[in-house]
Amino acid sequence: MVLKTSETVEGYAGVHEHPVIGRELVAMENVGKVYPNGTIAVQNVNLKAGEGEFLCFVGPSGCGKSTIFNMIAGLTSPTSGTLSVLRTTPKEARKHNEIAFVFQEHTLLPWCNLMENVTLPLKLRGMPKKTMKEEGERVLELVGLKDYIKALPRQLSGGMKMRVSIARALISRPKLLLMDEPFGALDEITRQTLQHELLNIWQKEKRMTVLFITHNVFEAVFLSTRVVVMTPRPGKVSNIIGIPFPFPRSEQFRTLPQFGEYVRSVSESLKH
Amino acid sequence: MAMDKSYVSPLPASENKLPASENDRRGQSAARRQLSDHPLMKRLADAGPPIAVFVLFVLGWEFIVQLAGIPAYILPKPSDIYAAARDQWSNLVTSVTTTVLEAVIGFVISIVLGVGLAILLALSKIVERSIYPYAIIMQTIPIVAIAPIIVIWFGAGLNAIIIIAFLISFFPIFSNTLIGLNSTEQNMKNLFYLYHATKLQTIARLRIPAALPYIVAGLKISCTLSIIGAIVGEYIAGIGGGKGGLGYAITVAATRLQTPYLFACGLSASLLGIFFFLIVNALSRMLLRSWHESEMNS
Repeated sequence: MVLKTSETVEGYAGVHEHPVIGRELVAMENVGKVYPNGTIAVQNVNLKAGEGEFLCFVGPSGCGKSTIFNMIAGLTSPTSGTLSVLRTTPKEARKHNEIAFVFQEHTLLPWCNLMENVTLPLKLRGMPKKTMKEEGERVLELVGLKDYIKALPRQLSGGMKMRVSIARALISRPKLLLMDEPFGALDEITRQTLQHELLNIWQKEKRMTVLFITHNVFEAVFLSTRVVVMTPRPGKVSNIIGIPFPFPRSEQFRTLPQFGEYVRSVSESLKH
Repeated sequence: MAMDKSYVSPLPASENKLPASENDRRGQSAARRQLSDHPLMKRLADAGPPIAVFVLFVLGWEFIVQLAGIPAYILPKPSDIYAAARDQWSNLVTSVTTTVLEAVIGFVISIVLGVGLAILLALSKIVERSIYPYAIIMQTIPIVAIAPIIVIWFGAGLNAIIIIAFLISFFPIFSNTLIGLNSTEQNMKNLFYLYHATKLQTIARLRIPAALPYIVAGLKISCTLSIIGAIVGEYIAGIGGGKGGLGYAITVAATRLQTPYLFACGLSASLLGIFFFLIVNALSRMLLRSWHESEMNS
């Protein structure tokens, strides 16, 4: 039932209409990371993410999910293997504002209203005020918070703060969106609503690639085109599982037998 | 909430048959309750007990000193203090304004230099590592001990006093600001790094605003310290004539055994300290009320 795809883009393509896999955005070949104290964070990771993919990394703590994320973000460098992001080094790619980030914490500035918060990346680049206002309104509308432009973060619920955080990431129209357990601190109901909204946004921005870290198997299956299963000690990719269920996915997907099948196969891979 | 139960409606006409005394009492209590709903009255009611204690204290002081026959040069009665303040009103006003001027200038200099130096140190780890230990050592020097040197260098008078006020109020602002600048959340710093903010952008848009609660806490400590500094400075470097500040007035009053005026000066200095603190407190609320826990509900 479940297709075990090879670790290349080709093995995945053509399973369903959306998204169209274009050029590679992230390519990792034999990537490893050993910390100075000798800890092996990740080992032998081979992974390719194509344009328009939604890739979820799932695994227990210590499996190197965040290390991979940090390497792609350019916060740390791999100690072996090659890693290219948008056909260049992670740092170069980040310079062109083509990567955006969402963390588990909303990381909003408490003294700035929502408009100031979402336009921060543009402000740091010295964009004109008019562009900032237009783009700010665009992304706040995208996450359904257009009426809260002047509100301060503390006046919002946890889910709303996360929406603002996503809006801020989307403002630079990134080609690659990195999300590190963004919904980890939210309650289940809010989490499901946001998953749904995130998929809608991703489909609107057709060519945006999302790399999404989670430790929730259900979340990974619901969201992704492929699930990257990781196991700890040492951290490595144990399996990559395609979820060939068509988009747009409705809430109903969660109740289908296929959904359960995917969840089971991901869970089984996790045990190895 | 205060509106519901405490509001008593006017008596219906049928109840007017009640005995006059009772009717009176109920009418009065109704009026009192309605009055007490007014926010101003509520604040007065909150302030009532401490004010009552103050009045009792002053009255007790007045009568006990009177009954015990303690002479005014040892312990003056409140009425003596009031009389002394009234008799030498223009001197007192001059002293207070002089001290205010010195304290404010010293305080402002310590804000500018304290915050400025802290930002400079926060910008560069190397500068911080090389200067911070000395800043700490400087802080431990009792300013009173080096005050005479300052008088030797800058001469008695305004300059020396302002420098002493500055030295005393500088360190709380400096060290608080530095701690505040260094306690920015790592997540936030990562965010700014990932969006390739420059060092100056990170300081201006993240670290300084995030340090504001700390800076304001430093200001709260330093504003009263600047008055202490000014008065201490006047003890040591004060000049007489019409230009002396509170510290000078206090030393003069003490040597002449003008104890009531001494008390008046001391009270003026305390009121000055409270006044300074209230101003800084208001500033703190203005800056932080919208987003920081410390000023939200107070």
